[in-house]
Amino acid sequence: MPTNQEIAQMAHLMRRAGFGATYAELEQRAADGYEATVEELLNPIAQPDLEMDILERHFVDWKEMNALEVNQAYITYRMINTKRPLQEKMALFWHGILCTGNSKCEHGRQIQLQLDMFRDLGMGNFDVLLKGLSRDPAMVFYLDNCMSHKGAINENWGRELLELFSLGVGMDGQANYSEDDVKEAARAFTGWTITNAVPRYPYGRYESNFIYNPYDHDNDQKTFLGETGNFNGDDIVEIIARQQSAARFVSRHLYNFFVADEVQVPAWQNTAPRDPEAIALLERTYFDSGYNLTAMLRVMFNSDFFKNARFEKVKSPTEVVIGTMRLVQDFTSPKLGLQPLANTIRYMGQDLMNPPTVEGWHTGAEWIDSGTLVERINFAADQVGNTSLPGIREIVSRLDSEQVSTAEGIVDRCLEMVGAYELASETKEQLVAFVGNPAPGSPEYSDTIAQTLQLIVSTQEYQFA
Amino acid sequence: MTTTINPKALPAIGIDLQYSHTIGRAEFSGPGFRNPTAMARGEEDVMYVANRSYDYRPDGKRITMCTVGEEFIGEFAKGVFEQGDGEAVSTDGAIIWPTAITVGPNGNVYLADEYLDRISIYSPDGEYLTKWERPGDGDGQWDKPTGMAFAPNGTLYVVDCNNHRVQMLTADGEYIGQWGEFGDGPGQFNMPFGIEVDQDGSVYVADWRNDRIQKFTADGKFLLQFGETGDAPGQFNRPTDVAVDNEGSIYVADWNNDRLQIFHPDGSFAGMTYGEGTISQWGMGKLDANPEMWEERKISQGLDREKLFWGPIAVECDDEGRIFVVETARSRIQVFHKLDSVFYGVNERVSGGGGRL
Repeated sequence: MPTNQEIAQMAHLMRRAGFGATYAELEQRAADGYEATVEELLNPIAQPDLEMDILERHFVDWKEMNALEVNQAYITYRMINTKRPLQEKMALFWHGILCTGNSKCEHGRQIQLQLDMFRDLGMGNFDVLLKGLSRDPAMVFYLDNCMSHKGAINENWGRELLELFSLGVGMDGQANYSEDDVKEAARAFTGWTITNAVPRYPYGRYESNFIYNPYDHDNDQKTFLGETGNFNGDDIVEIIARQQSAARFVSRHLYNFFVADEVQVPAWQNTAPRDPEAIALLERTYFDSGYNLTAMLRVMFNSDFFKNARFEKVKSPTEVVIGTMRLVQDFTSPKLGLQPLANTIRYMGQDLMNPPTVEGWHTGAEWIDSGTLVERINFAADQVGNTSLPGIREIVSRLDSEQVSTAEGIVDRCLEMVGAYELASETKEQLVAFVGNPAPGSPEYSDTIAQTLQLIVSTQEYQFA
Repeated sequence: MTTTINPKALPAIGIDLQYSHTIGRAEFSGPGFRNPTAMARGEEDVMYVANRSYDYRPDGKRITMCTVGEEFIGEFAKGVFEQGDGEAVSTDGAIIWPTAITVGPNGNVYLADEYLDRISIYSPDGEYLTKWERPGDGDGQWDKPTGMAFAPNGTLYVVDCNNHRVQMLTADGEYIGQWGEFGDGPGQFNMPFGIEVDQDGSVYVADWRNDRIQKFTADGKFLLQFGETGDAPGQFNRPTDVAVDNEGSIYVADWNNDRLQIFHPDGSFAGMTYGEGTISQWGMGKLDANPEMWEERKISQGLDREKLFWGPIAVECDDEGRIFVVETARSRIQVFHKLDSVFYGVNERVSGGGGRL
């Protein structure tokens, strides 16, 4: 049997590298071992994908994926049910950094195809991912590269590629690139465009495809980040990937997303990393591995700085909703109500596939305000208070079979079951006082457990991952 | 030098379809369809089309009545339901997840709803009459009814998808019998979907997750199977529906291969099409009302994709020799005729004989 410490460590890993897990899964994974679980997570394609034939047969609008709401329902279902949680978490990670949004998109499915690209390339080499992104039709449209021409550049893509997608404005107090670098990058990407869209009437849209138009490409020499040559887009990406600032960019984003909340990204130029040694280790791994994300993730998840960072992050709305659904084990097969569920993520401030700007979402404490906090607590409390849901039934049945009858025992066990949470002593005392001593098997036993769970997910502590 | 002929080397005669026209456009109400899942032919040129729509647009859930010539008649079973706490509440006559629609001997319209485990019955004009809501796995109950077909003798066959069986009912809904269980042997099923009864009363079932078609006698004795997993001619990727014309040719909606396949009565491969869709009359109307889209079409790239099937989920034949293919992801129906396999010289039909000029 795994120890409480091993369960707690596994709960931490699964919250960060995935979207949480039931207690039974935590026990199984803890028995398999921490490093073995990390390796399994790092090798997602060894696990089966969702059975898309069954899903598209029930959700008949999922082939077309036309509307934002349909896409959000799909991605919500996917995150709840995937057996490749890290692959999906990495797709979410990149979606929050390499942003496109439905507010400027010709066809909702196009962003879903971009997320597919993140699933395919998001754990590979950073330069390959950026090359995929440079060819992604949703991105080409979102950042106007299709409007950038030889002799008449639109620098939007060139700028955001450097500022938001690969280097960042600066680091250690210095700028990472100049205005000239932006323009030269834009020149190198002229001719990288997409096919003209098929209009939505009468039968609905089709996705656009990336095409390279050599006649619209600026073939003259460019000077970019100190290097000179007749650069095309891929050359720019390769120069980017060699920069120390690219290593810093990827490392700091990984740390911020998976380990502990950092200051907001725009402050990174002039604010040192929260844990410089951790960032330095990740940067070294970036170069040693040939810019490989899987290598960086492996080092990170096995590091002490990761293992010691329990509850150092505020959950994103997606993590609140998906983590709770994985706990209660609802929506594990097709049924109605998926889109309203996906909407709850939006109401908590994260409109997936439609971020507020190309900067994505601000994270950490900025997820929380008086409105979103109420949404979070109401949502989670509604779910865990529903004793008809399989995950909650499982918890009740487990405590019942263990004959847990003392108030303290019930609170402790419930805290473990939802992911080895720890409460401030004052909070815990109040919970213990509330619970009383219901007898296992009694009619009030399951209600008491459900109410205890409701109180737990209403605490400040549950807002942290 | 002599020429020897190996009769076995002769190519089998194929079956070709001639494209006729496309019906529909994507609409949540009025002339058009939204994620249609099934259609049935009624009296004269009337057709009934079941629209599943998106779950967050229940207003698009409905049965559209129109003609093969694309005259809009009306719609009924509008998606009147309330949704809360993950539970759907449906009023009588409304639909949530329609899977199959068929017209009974008396002209009434039967619609299967796999969410409600309900078969709703409407008059030919769309007036709600009654329902059989029977969730379960007992006799006459079902867990996701996905296919329905009436036999010439009036027996109604219902595909009971998640119970992996076919049930027989009277037109009034009384249980007669059943066959099938989970498996991949003859007479077993894995989530069967569409069903058809031919003129002789033989029953064909699209055995969805076994990627094959099975043929049975009227009382469920196994006769024939064909198909296997794949995308080569004669193979299937989740066939959703099957139809048989008056000459015994078999049409299969090869859903995940986005094509219609045609088979001879013995199950041998006879032909296939990936679709030839054109702009429907309703589509023309929509584009005329949004003329900028005519301009966009002039410069759009990849417009050829519009011809192709996308999610061909249902296929029907009518007594006039027409074949209808319902496309969920394109909200339309492509109509074909089967070409006669007998050779006619250019003038033979015109002059009554004499061959070529």
